[in-house]
Amino acid sequence: MSTRTEKNKETPADTGARFRSIMHLLQFTDSTFPVGTFSFSNGLETASFEKVVHDADTLREFVASQAVQAAFSDGVAAIQSHRAYLRGDYDAIAAADAALYRFKMNAEARLMLQRMGKKLAELSSHLFESPLITRWLKEIKDEKVPGTYPVGQGMAYAAAGVDEKEMFCAHQYGVINMVLSAALRCVRVSHYDTQKILFDLAARAESLYEEAARMNVDDMNAFFPQLDILASLHEKGNMRMFMN
Amino acid sequence: MSDRSDMSDQPDLHPPEIKTIMETTKLKTASVPEVDFSKAHEMQPYLREPDQMYVGAPGKHGYLKLRFALDKDGKSILREIDRRVPLIAQQELYFDKEMPEMPCLYILSSGGPNVDGDRYQQDIIVEKDAFGWVSTGAATKLAEMKYNYSGMIQNIVLEEGAYLEFMPEPVFPCRHTRFICDTRLSVHPTATVFYSEIYMGGRKYYGDGEMFDYDILSVCSHGERPDGEQLFREKFVIDPAKLDPRQLGVMGKFEIFANVIVVTPKENADKIYAETPATLDRERMLATGITTLPNDAGLLFKVLGNDTGLVKKTIREFCSRVRMAVKGKPLPEEFPWR
Repeated sequence: MSTRTEKNKETPADTGARFRSIMHLLQFTDSTFPVGTFSFSNGLETASFEKVVHDADTLREFVASQAVQAAFSDGVAAIQSHRAYLRGDYDAIAAADAALYRFKMNAEARLMLQRMGKKLAELSSHLFESPLITRWLKEIKDEKVPGTYPVGQGMAYAAAGVDEKEMFCAHQYGVINMVLSAALRCVRVSHYDTQKILFDLAARAESLYEEAARMNVDDMNAFFPQLDILASLHEKGNMRMFMN
Repeated sequence: MSDRSDMSDQPDLHPPEIKTIMETTKLKTASVPEVDFSKAHEMQPYLREPDQMYVGAPGKHGYLKLRFALDKDGKSILREIDRRVPLIAQQELYFDKEMPEMPCLYILSSGGPNVDGDRYQQDIIVEKDAFGWVSTGAATKLAEMKYNYSGMIQNIVLEEGAYLEFMPEPVFPCRHTRFICDTRLSVHPTATVFYSEIYMGGRKYYGDGEMFDYDILSVCSHGERPDGEQLFREKFVIDPAKLDPRQLGVMGKFEIFANVIVVTPKENADKIYAETPATLDRERMLATGITTLPNDAGLLFKVLGNDTGLVKKTIREFCSRVRMAVKGKPLPEEFPWR
């Protein structure tokens, strides 16, 4: 986007596309978008209950870990799906989908990704015509593909003309904002704290993207055992405020 | 950080004529597959040949093949063993008090710690209805490395109705250790494998301490069915210079991490899952979590702790639950000297 502006060769058609893609980007990341950033707590509820996260500083570290974890798993799958969509390569989309599902070591996370993925496919089909998304939705219903959300995100953003870097930002924003929104209800922090964390973590998105963009689905990796154990405590526990 | 990026620019210590002799006389370890991770994204900074003994030289490329099978009387035995130094396995022993029919085997290394440019492969096959227990004789130390990395490939194959407990002692990375491991678990739908790993943060009391001073640990374990159907793929890359393992969410205040994969039929997995709590014990600094693997492949159990003995005990208790669900027998008490 920026390169087009710098070169100053933007045609009226380009300008129109740019306006549309920004509008679509805002729409897809808005909290009113049915599969945008809504309240999945990602283990935060347990972290708060167990006093592992109890103030703005601990929340910041917790969210930063969530962001990196997502970047090198969901983020990689979303980028691969985005690229495959632009190539019209359905097999690569299905492969990224299956690979991400095999990589998700948490039953609740798998369920959440699948629910959101299917919902996004249905909504996308309602918003615009896309044979690839239509096929993906059909195969989700036929249980031929798992239908994970980041893979759907890659396709929907590509279809809406949002480029891969901007999509990655939307993905990071989604993860961070999702946890921070939940934090307002279960951690002793203010809007000022959460907005400051969101603002500061923006600085890390570029380096995470640079690394995720070089990975293929076999390179996906995550080392967050404390988050995994918190998620397990949540999965096993009785107290829950969010649908995690 | 700066240490490793400088490595590739270091002058070669050998004069050209010596280097030529070394190149032309490179002997490789006979008739064992190549172990090569040069394509791995995270190992790219560590591909320089060591100045000392070259990669894959005899003595630096360990190989071990173990095959458990039932003999004609239905006794589970170690039917086949093939090895290359420095890996050693002796004969199977039947020392499990709770399961005296269990062949037990220790893997040893005659070469001391894993060093720069070492390669290893371990293939363990458990034939139809056979069973076995495999561990290491002592902790595996991953030495300080300067140029290259130490890599290991494991192929663990379980045939119909087979059962394996793989429970090695902890792995200790030192300063600037680079280690990569790829483990393939090929498991028949009726078989069970218990596969555990313990990673220490480093040598805590060596010099001023070496906690999380290693360069990289990259560990991938993936499961499949005998027909090649892929079940799960877990990969963790720990690069302390990029992300401090002590960050909240990574390991927090814990220093020891253990990972246990149990591939087992769903009915066993459901039973073990129900019996295994997730815990967070602040007094003893021990946290455990359990979840299910994708595609109903089995279970994943994670432990964080600060006391090696306690972490090992937790893993054994979990293994005992697995053995009880599959074989109807518990694990014996651990030997006091282990």
